[in-house]
Amino acid sequence: MASVTLEHVKKIYDNHVVAVQDFNLNIKDKEFVVFVGPSGCGKSTTLRMIAGLEDISEGTLKIGERVVNDVEPKDRDIAMVFQNYALYPHITVYENLAFSLRIRKMDKNEIHRRVCQAAEILGITEYLARKPKALSGGQRQRVAIGRAIVREPQVFLMDEPLSNLDAKLRNQMRAEIILLRKRLDTTFIYVTHDQTEAMTLGDRIVIMKDGFIQQVGTPQEVFETPHNLFVACFIGSPQMNIFNGKLVKEANGYSVNLLGMKLNLDEEKCALLRKNNVSSMDVLVGARPEHMTVCFDNKASAINGMITVNEMMGSELHLHVAAGDSKNTILRIPTIDLTPAQRASLDAGNSIAFTFPTKVIQLFDPATEESLLYR
Amino acid sequence: MAKENLIPEVDIVIDQEAGVIREIKPEPKLRSKKAHEKRVNGAIYAILIAMSVIWLLPFILLVLQSFRVEYGGQVAYVIPKQFGLDNFKFILTETNFPRWYGNTLIIALFNSVLQTVIVLSVSYALSRMRFRGRKLFMKSVLVLGMFPGFLTMIALYTLLKNLGLTQEGAIPGLILIYCASSGMGYYISKGFFDTIPKSLDESARIDGATRFQVFLKIIMPLSKPIVIYTILMAFMAPWGDYVFASYVAFGKSDSYNVAVGLYDWVNTNDFQGYFTRFCAGGVLVAIPITALFLMLQKYYVEGVTGGAVKG
Repeated sequence: MASVTLEHVKKIYDNHVVAVQDFNLNIKDKEFVVFVGPSGCGKSTTLRMIAGLEDISEGTLKIGERVVNDVEPKDRDIAMVFQNYALYPHITVYENLAFSLRIRKMDKNEIHRRVCQAAEILGITEYLARKPKALSGGQRQRVAIGRAIVREPQVFLMDEPLSNLDAKLRNQMRAEIILLRKRLDTTFIYVTHDQTEAMTLGDRIVIMKDGFIQQVGTPQEVFETPHNLFVACFIGSPQMNIFNGKLVKEANGYSVNLLGMKLNLDEEKCALLRKNNVSSMDVLVGARPEHMTVCFDNKASAINGMITVNEMMGSELHLHVAAGDSKNTILRIPTIDLTPAQRASLDAGNSIAFTFPTKVIQLFDPATEESLLYR
Repeated sequence: MAKENLIPEVDIVIDQEAGVIREIKPEPKLRSKKAHEKRVNGAIYAILIAMSVIWLLPFILLVLQSFRVEYGGQVAYVIPKQFGLDNFKFILTETNFPRWYGNTLIIALFNSVLQTVIVLSVSYALSRMRFRGRKLFMKSVLVLGMFPGFLTMIALYTLLKNLGLTQEGAIPGLILIYCASSGMGYYISKGFFDTIPKSLDESARIDGATRFQVFLKIIMPLSKPIVIYTILMAFMAPWGDYVFASYVAFGKSDSYNVAVGLYDWVNTNDFQGYFTRFCAGGVLVAIPITALFLMLQKYYVEGVTGGAVKG
């Protein structure tokens, strides 16, 4: 168990591509941190630098109090789970689990104890005599995790461990990783491109794009107070709706004009805007699909549009609505509250009126894409 | 139109691995295709049989001649009138042949060990490590490999002579020659190593293995076919070499290998008498190679094709 500290870490590849820019992060002992971002954002590169599989071009990496920039992977006391499992195909599951312990010349009884214990935790005891080829994807992933567990390392690294599994298995394994984490109680660094995984697993999420950290925060923080447009759109599914609007500074507060509607902002938002010294300007207004409500009557004070697509998701409807200059606004409407008549009125091609509370909206500067509320 | 004609004839196959149901349309005109296939196969077999007869004939003749007891070089018949082991007995007791055979075996064995170690190490390094000049090195080796080895004959001879590794010292000298350039034959094994996922190396390194342990404990067991292929190649090259062996051992019968020794008989006065003995020597030379091949042919084919196809 140890903390991991990255100070001004930078990765420049031989072909002068800069993969990671000035990465600063302090991962606390026993913390579960998730790196998330679209492909090519540098999240895997950062993880591989922590593992020692990539050289660090600039900056300092510490595991615990030790600077490990030039320490070989084998001496860093870390374990890593790979996306493609990377099991040794020529030896049995038992030997796969025991490999790292044998390399360390550990006592045979201790090896046996640890392998059996790990197999027990992961429910793979009955497969110990098999070769990896004879296992299913989920079982292979368990072996890969088991191989990391037996080491009892200071830091656990996981590089998209669930990406090769089908959707159902992925949900199951995700829950198991949460349990495993409770059980092992050590530092975890987890890389994924899936925001759901990031939200459900992480104590803190590091959102990356083009080699830069966009925001670091708890799942709730990044969801509720995104620092920029990218974070706002990346976290949450379906993604946040963005409208063009105009922010107007008034004598006693702020209001936003969008799609022909005037929304008065609540006191909390006004205070934040005042604090950031924002004056009247064009803005991007963000509102999450789940915060949208349909107005079945009283259509005058709502945004009017037309339903283009109606996706039935079971417990909720996803409505794609064209309204004004916003061609694809998504509304998530729980079906449980709808009367049959109301539901019938939400078919594709029908007109619709919707609104959202100003309490939940986000405001972004169109030029910098930074949040006007949280800096 | 009859109703059943509207239903397309398909076999439904469940592909378990992909978890999808696939439709397989039946082959149209099944019968005529079969007949066509038969004709093509017939032609292919006829050509193959003709080719194997042409290829095998000299070997069959060689074996038959080696057992011929009657004297004479060229005779007008194929099957010997009298079979016997006289030729073998003669070359094994009356000539220097056992010495040559031993020389060749020593050279081939040493070379198969040394060359395999060198080739596999070079290939692994070129496949897995990134260092300055790697690409240039690979390209220049490729170009150098285009030149036949014996172009360097005179230079090598001078070098070896100064080191005292010619004539009496020909055996270590030849081992040195064969091993020295063996790293140049890295292509096939590098191609094979390239197909082994790098994440296995990385995983093992994180598990605590050094580069050498990764090579020994992970890569080697996974590369059995290519290791065997490399050993075979390293054994065979010196086994049948004449050019280098003849000038390094120049004039010193005790340092000859089988190829040089056997050729020496062609220049004896009793050329006619040595013809069948020469054949017997040829058979003895072929035995270890043939045995090795039969034992390892499964791996050999995997090794040759393994590098090319991603496995």
